[in-house]
Amino acid sequence: MAFVVVENVSKTYSDQESGIGVPVLRAVSTEIAEGEFVSLMGPSGSGKSTLLTILGAMNHPSQGRLLIDGIDVYALSDERRADFRSQYLGFVFQQHHLMPYLNAIENVMLPLATLSMASLEKRRRGLDVLEKVGLAEKAKRLPNQLSGGEQGRLAIARALVNDPPLVLADEPTGTLDTKTGDEIMRVFLDLNARGQTIFMVTHNPENASLAHRVLHIRDGELELATDSRARTASRFSPAI
Amino acid sequence: MRISTIALANLRRRKGKAVFLMSGIGIGIGTAVALLSLSGSLRDEIGSQLDRFGANIVVTPHSDSLALDYGGISVAGVSFDQHQLSDADVAGISRIRYRKRLSVVAPKLIGTTEVDGRKTLLAGVDFNSELRLKKWWRLTGRPPESPTDVLLGYEIARAVSAIQAVPGSVANADRATSHHAAMPEEIRVTKEKVSLGGREHRISGVIGQTGGPEDRMVFAQLGQVQGLLGRPGQLSVIEVSALCKDCPVEDIVAQIKQELPHANVSAIQQSVRARAEAVDRLSRFSLVVSAVVLAIGALMVFTTMMGAVVERTKEIGVLRAIGFRKTHIIRSLMIEVVIISAAGGVGGWLAGLLAGRLALPYFTEGGAQMELRLSLAVFAVAVAMGTGIISSIYPVLRASRLDPSEAVRYV
Repeated sequence: MAFVVVENVSKTYSDQESGIGVPVLRAVSTEIAEGEFVSLMGPSGSGKSTLLTILGAMNHPSQGRLLIDGIDVYALSDERRADFRSQYLGFVFQQHHLMPYLNAIENVMLPLATLSMASLEKRRRGLDVLEKVGLAEKAKRLPNQLSGGEQGRLAIARALVNDPPLVLADEPTGTLDTKTGDEIMRVFLDLNARGQTIFMVTHNPENASLAHRVLHIRDGELELATDSRARTASRFSPAI
Repeated sequence: MRISTIALANLRRRKGKAVFLMSGIGIGIGTAVALLSLSGSLRDEIGSQLDRFGANIVVTPHSDSLALDYGGISVAGVSFDQHQLSDADVAGISRIRYRKRLSVVAPKLIGTTEVDGRKTLLAGVDFNSELRLKKWWRLTGRPPESPTDVLLGYEIARAVSAIQAVPGSVANADRATSHHAAMPEEIRVTKEKVSLGGREHRISGVIGQTGGPEDRMVFAQLGQVQGLLGRPGQLSVIEVSALCKDCPVEDIVAQIKQELPHANVSAIQQSVRARAEAVDRLSRFSLVVSAVVLAIGALMVFTTMMGAVVERTKEIGVLRAIGFRKTHIIRSLMIEVVIISAAGGVGGWLAGLLAGRLALPYFTEGGAQMELRLSLAVFAVAVAMGTGIISSIYPVLRASRLDPSEAVRYV
């Protein structure tokens, strides 16, 4: 059975002014295997972000269901879903959304703050992931003391610290220049090479093509997926 | 990394806002503390004035009397079924349950006698208790020591030529001016002995002019007077001073009545009660003002927290997205509120105490002290935290209910 199963998921938002329902996703179904790297492309307003937040256990679908590791995610209570996010998911946001008042190691340890775990263990895990993304030496720096690429890597480290089975990335290179964007994609590829399941929303066809599979979405409906096994691996030498 | 780490880091990051909130709560608490301390000190002052005032309970023999008048002209009063007070009644008073609250019990026997051939009132008293009770007496001379020592009232002393005004004393020089009319006159005792009921007694001292009945009285040892008047063991009145700052005078009166069923026991409270009522009003006013200022502080906390929630939508959305429960968000924000409120409470308490101390001389007649009450500090911090928490409940709950997908989309 696939690790992630999206079953006939629809989402309709209610227009605040008219009160009329606006369908954003229409009976979307797909599956993601464990260890797979899937990217999602589509024009603005096509429903990419909505699908991502539904996959992220944050946005209750109007219809259909989402199974991750066999768990019917939206059958869980709100608080249990928060626990599920903490255990199963790692988020990488487009703008990184690092806490500016916490240093690098504190930002990385943020998802561990709610867990009953010894402080030393939290720190050890934080340093481990910082090591993985090549930022161990900058653990004490505040986000604004890091470059754009380093901030991106720090955001990835935060997404990995709780060792989640699934990493969700929302246009992680959207605001970065090509060189920094490549640096981030290199990290993703390397993580995937180690077995990490990744779902990435992107506008960038080149980055999308680095995934095993590219999903295309238009007007809330998934179109045929592209098998993009022909990764342009030559662009990326292993980063980590 | 704990939830408290995030809260503390947030406070460090938003120092200005934290100080602003602390000030808001601190001003409210400070006002409350200053006003409550002031009214507390005023109450204490009244308490000590009450003690200085002398007796606040008077015990007299019980008698059923009938006032007789005819055409508006008082003819006479008829007393019947009259009981006597005795030395044993003093012992009875000291047996009541609230005996520890009694500071002075002063028995007296009052009768008439001749002083150097002049008919006058003679009071037999226990000087130890009497002088403690009549703290406003200014003695020229010494308190009586032997049974034959007496104190003369000012008018009697003048009448028997026992005193002379000291030349050049203020009151003596300017007696005519109203400004100095109330000033005490300096006197000198010029006579050593006086005849009391045909027996010689030593004039131990003279009581300065009080304007009261004692000016026309002679005071001698109780036992001596009981002998002179031929009424051994008898008493006319027992004056009692109870430490009444917060004590239930009515309860003490009831207990004495129970112990001395043959006596009339009444509390003298009118003069003090009027002032106590004024202070009560001030206390109520203080509470209202404090409540208003605290409400303004609470409103300030509310609006600031609402603003903070909007400002931190992104942050809260990210925290929710990475697995924070609603309760984790509430805990994080409430830790901040509690720290700010507690600091505001401590600061407000200190500021209020200082303000109260500075303002106290303008509200009292001097001599009043402001006590450092730990209970007020605890109260201040508790109220500050309560105000902070209550006014933050809605904003914090609202923050916890932020839809993470909306919050993330917002960013």
